[in-house]
Amino acid sequence: MNKRIFRSIFIVAIIILLASLAVVFGVLYTHYSDSYLTQLKNESLYIAQGIDKNGIDYFDNLSRNSSARVTWIDADGTVLYDSEADAATLENHSQREEVREALTSGNGESTRYSNTLSEQTIYYAVRLDDNTVLRISGSQHSVFSLLLKMVWPVLLVLAAAIFLSALLASRLSKNIIKPINEIDLSNPEQAQTYDELAPLLRRIAHQNKQINLQMEQLRQKQQEFSTITENMQEGLLVIDRKTDLLSYNSSAMRILGADEAVQNKSVLMLNRSESFRHAIDAALTGRHDEQLLQLNDKIYRLIANPVYSGDELMGAVLVILDVTEKEQLDELRRQFTANVSHELKTPLTSISGFAEIIKNGIAKQEDIPRFAQNIYDESARLITLVNDIIRLSQLDEGSIPMEKEPVPLHRVVQDVLNRLQPAAQAKNVKITADIQSVSVFGVAQILDEMVYNLCDNAIKYNVEGGSVSVELKNVNGGACLTVRDTGIGIPKSDQQRVFERFYRVDKSHSKEIGGTGLGLSIVKHAALFHGATVTLESEPGKGTTVRVQF
Amino acid sequence: MREQFDAQLEKLNTELITMGALCEEAISSAIKALFDEDDALLESVFTADSGIDQKERDIEALCMRLLLQQQPVASDLRVISSALKMISDMERIGDQASDIAEITRYVKYSDVKSKVHIKEMATAAIKMVTDSIDSFVKKDITLVKAVMAYDDVVDGLFDKVKTELIALLAEDHASGESFADLLMIAKYLERIGDHAVNIAEWVEYSITGQHKSRS
Repeated sequence: MNKRIFRSIFIVAIIILLASLAVVFGVLYTHYSDSYLTQLKNESLYIAQGIDKNGIDYFDNLSRNSSARVTWIDADGTVLYDSEADAATLENHSQREEVREALTSGNGESTRYSNTLSEQTIYYAVRLDDNTVLRISGSQHSVFSLLLKMVWPVLLVLAAAIFLSALLASRLSKNIIKPINEIDLSNPEQAQTYDELAPLLRRIAHQNKQINLQMEQLRQKQQEFSTITENMQEGLLVIDRKTDLLSYNSSAMRILGADEAVQNKSVLMLNRSESFRHAIDAALTGRHDEQLLQLNDKIYRLIANPVYSGDELMGAVLVILDVTEKEQLDELRRQFTANVSHELKTPLTSISGFAEIIKNGIAKQEDIPRFAQNIYDESARLITLVNDIIRLSQLDEGSIPMEKEPVPLHRVVQDVLNRLQPAAQAKNVKITADIQSVSVFGVAQILDEMVYNLCDNAIKYNVEGGSVSVELKNVNGGACLTVRDTGIGIPKSDQQRVFERFYRVDKSHSKEIGGTGLGLSIVKHAALFHGATVTLESEPGKGTTVRVQF
Repeated sequence: MREQFDAQLEKLNTELITMGALCEEAISSAIKALFDEDDALLESVFTADSGIDQKERDIEALCMRLLLQQQPVASDLRVISSALKMISDMERIGDQASDIAEITRYVKYSDVKSKVHIKEMATAAIKMVTDSIDSFVKKDITLVKAVMAYDDVVDGLFDKVKTELIALLAEDHASGESFADLLMIAKYLERIGDHAVNIAEWVEYSITGQHKSRS
């Protein structure tokens, strides 16, 4: 602004300066040239008269200090006299413009510039009566030399023009700018300023409003987004093509164990395991990839997806899910399938083996009853197993057809103990019972199975000559059944898992004790069905106590 | 100009982390192959080692380009020069890992390895490598000191393994070759520990400007 105003003022000043110089020069110079010529003419007239009277002798008397140069030329051009040079040395002047003019028309004039152009000589020639020519010449400064002389004053004026222009320009622009600077851009419509700016200010006010609105919307969106991502349990990371972290949520930082923000740093600083790098490499080459990630005893699923903008790959989004539980459940299911197949296969193999021997007629006649007994035992075992599985799946599905009713639990317990008496005697285990009469609301058959399995275990996993004590009491308004044995006990590490299906402390699945590995699982599910809790205390070699609290 | 420089430094950082990760992978795969007797893992050791060699060349070229084009000074220069030193240590770790894998082909059916403290030694060496890379990633001086101190543990375990092997050799002359192989593995592990210390020293240099060998 300042510069432009300065430039315009300066250019105007220069143009005016040059124009006035030209005009003044033009007018004054013509004027002076004219008057000089007139002066020469007059002088020539005087001298002509003088020559007429005195001839060449007149020149002797002619004042030497006349500024003009006087030349007398004969009709054929020979110089008869010259006031400044020896006439004899001068060449013939008949071809000079002013002389020729004078010879033909009576008088003539011409102007010639000196070699340097700094001076000009004006010649005036007049023909005398005797046909000789008198020429008078005088030199004068030329326009150019005058101009040259004017250079310094003109430069001075130019400098003054520059200074004044700058001063004026800065003043002017300051004055123009001042009201514009004073406009309050946050509400421009209130500003007192030039009318010419009003449309612009209205426009700015309108845009201000729009920008504020959009900012608010953006902020809201951002807030929504961060609320969603921050409340996610899953880790979320957004990276660019150079693997630099663009955005993340706190879950991701927690999962990856980062204690400080690593915005705009490579995500590889957080984790550099092979699967992590593999997933990122895949995503950054445009492929979807899933990897399992093991961190701090937990298993995470890492899902990496490429992000495109148009056709260009911009980066990748990584989602980290905690799949520890799912993986453990999968593991459990795999074990269950393996166990169930094993448990089912063992009796079937024996049955098929014995049957094959009999079929091929290899068996001796007297062995056949024993084989038949074996086949029968194994089938019975198989049936028990299948029954257990059916019972368990019924409990699982909650599809027990029987209605719940008040059941006298003490009678159930007594009944079970009576049934188990032979088994206990066979193993020389003493059973002591302390039973109060308590009723629970439930299904008699399931309760019977639960109590049977508990007591059966207590006898089965007991030592020769051990003892089992069964206690039924009313505790805290609910029935409490405690079965305590002096058996082999369960190691601490296995106590959590004995309620799992087919889980056995003794991994050899020994047939000596029998059992399907489903007993305690049934107890657990039956207790769940009745809303009871099962607690287990055990010490290897000393015994086990199982308490069911209704 | 500076922006481009920063981007290149960031790339150098990422590449170093990747190379470090490859080292960890190589050494832990080699040890896993030794104890789990898994031939597929041996392959992954050699793959990781060639990956490490490739990365060494890439990083070297990147450092040279940075030095020539950007003419870095002060801490930038320290970071780049220490990177140049670190990659040669990492490359050595990769080589030792593949040497261990090479030996593993022969000793894997021997049960001698369970009788000596070689597994503890391997765990300690891997921990040193991981910690030295971590100290670089986090620019953590305390971790650097921890790595330097932990070298004594690995050295102590090496002496222990050596004595154990000598004692075993006195009883069982037949398995002499396995003992020698195990001793070599122990020596490689000890060397890996030393390289981890070197890496940690260069990390310290890039952070503080002080290198242990010159103070």
